[in-house]
Amino acid sequence: MKLTRGEGRIITYALGSCIGIAFYDPVIRLGALLHIMLPARFGTDDNNVYKYADTGIRETIHKLTAFGMVKSRTVVKIAGGAKMFEISGNSDFGNIGLHNRDRVRQVFAEEGMRLVAEDTGGTCARTMVLDIATGGVLIRTFGRAEIKL
Amino acid sequence: MKLRYYEDMNLQELDVMKEIGSIGTGHAATALSMMLQKEIRITLPEVSVLGYEEAVNRIGNPEEIVAAVLVKMGGDIDGLMLFLFDLDFANTILEKLMRKGCQEFSGLDEIAYSALVEAGNIIICSYINAFTQFVGVDIGLSVPSATINMLGGILTVPIAEYGYETDKLMYINADFVMEGRMLSGWLLMLPDIRSLNDILERLGVAK
Repeated sequence: MKLTRGEGRIITYALGSCIGIAFYDPVIRLGALLHIMLPARFGTDDNNVYKYADTGIRETIHKLTAFGMVKSRTVVKIAGGAKMFEISGNSDFGNIGLHNRDRVRQVFAEEGMRLVAEDTGGTCARTMVLDIATGGVLIRTFGRAEIKL
Repeated sequence: MKLRYYEDMNLQELDVMKEIGSIGTGHAATALSMMLQKEIRITLPEVSVLGYEEAVNRIGNPEEIVAAVLVKMGGDIDGLMLFLFDLDFANTILEKLMRKGCQEFSGLDEIAYSALVEAGNIIICSYINAFTQFVGVDIGLSVPSATINMLGGILTVPIAEYGYETDKLMYINADFVMEGRMLSGWLLMLPDIRSLNDILERLGVAK
């Protein structure tokens, strides 16, 4: 998880089945980019909080709040959750991306935060860029023009 | 005592996996050699236990576009076989099989794409055949699946598959060398921890 304020860009590369989550508080220009790989943490002794959607999002909210973020005005955008391999006869393989996305949406609903935009699903990996000066999010993918969220 | 994490492997166990890598890749090289009608050697295999970012950086750049063929293993051994290769490697195969390469991955037509998937499958199956004979196990293989995608994205697949068990994965790889030139293809065998323990036990190296 990377956090910064004022200006600069935070980038997370090649999100495959992972979900990149951009948090942005426009009033104080404070933002963070979180990269989660799995939906939920099972072992409470697992210290990789940012690897999981549930603990990762909550810990990021906690850190941002300490820096002055106000939840109600903070904007959240997500990208990723692709299914890169399809194995015939094993339709569940590779669905982790969608499970990640569903869990992310659920956690934000529980936290009462607005998820305003998303570019998820599909088969292609994505690079996500958060511009701290503007809050703009850019998504780069192979074989598709750049899009702004 | 069985291993809980790949990084707990000792030198002897790593050596055994290198041996397997050597045998498997050697057979894959023979298959590749027959496909291309050229002599193919392999380099000494490497076994590394790496986290996601280290693995991506070891192989290339996260946004680099590569082709990947994936086969899921089941039966005595559970895990994934992943064969990653770049455009240059793809063209080496295509020029032989179809007398025509392509400028970019996005220019591949359906037939060329299928040829690459099939070539990848043959390479993977040769590896597995050698491996099953050496270790004395039965492995069922899924139908191959393929993608052309960012390297970083592709590697999230094995990480997610085993992510609850571990943060690091064991990558066993040896390179193919054709006429003195190293081909950029990565043939990775990724067994799960239970299977790794089983392999080590069968080969008499379990603690």
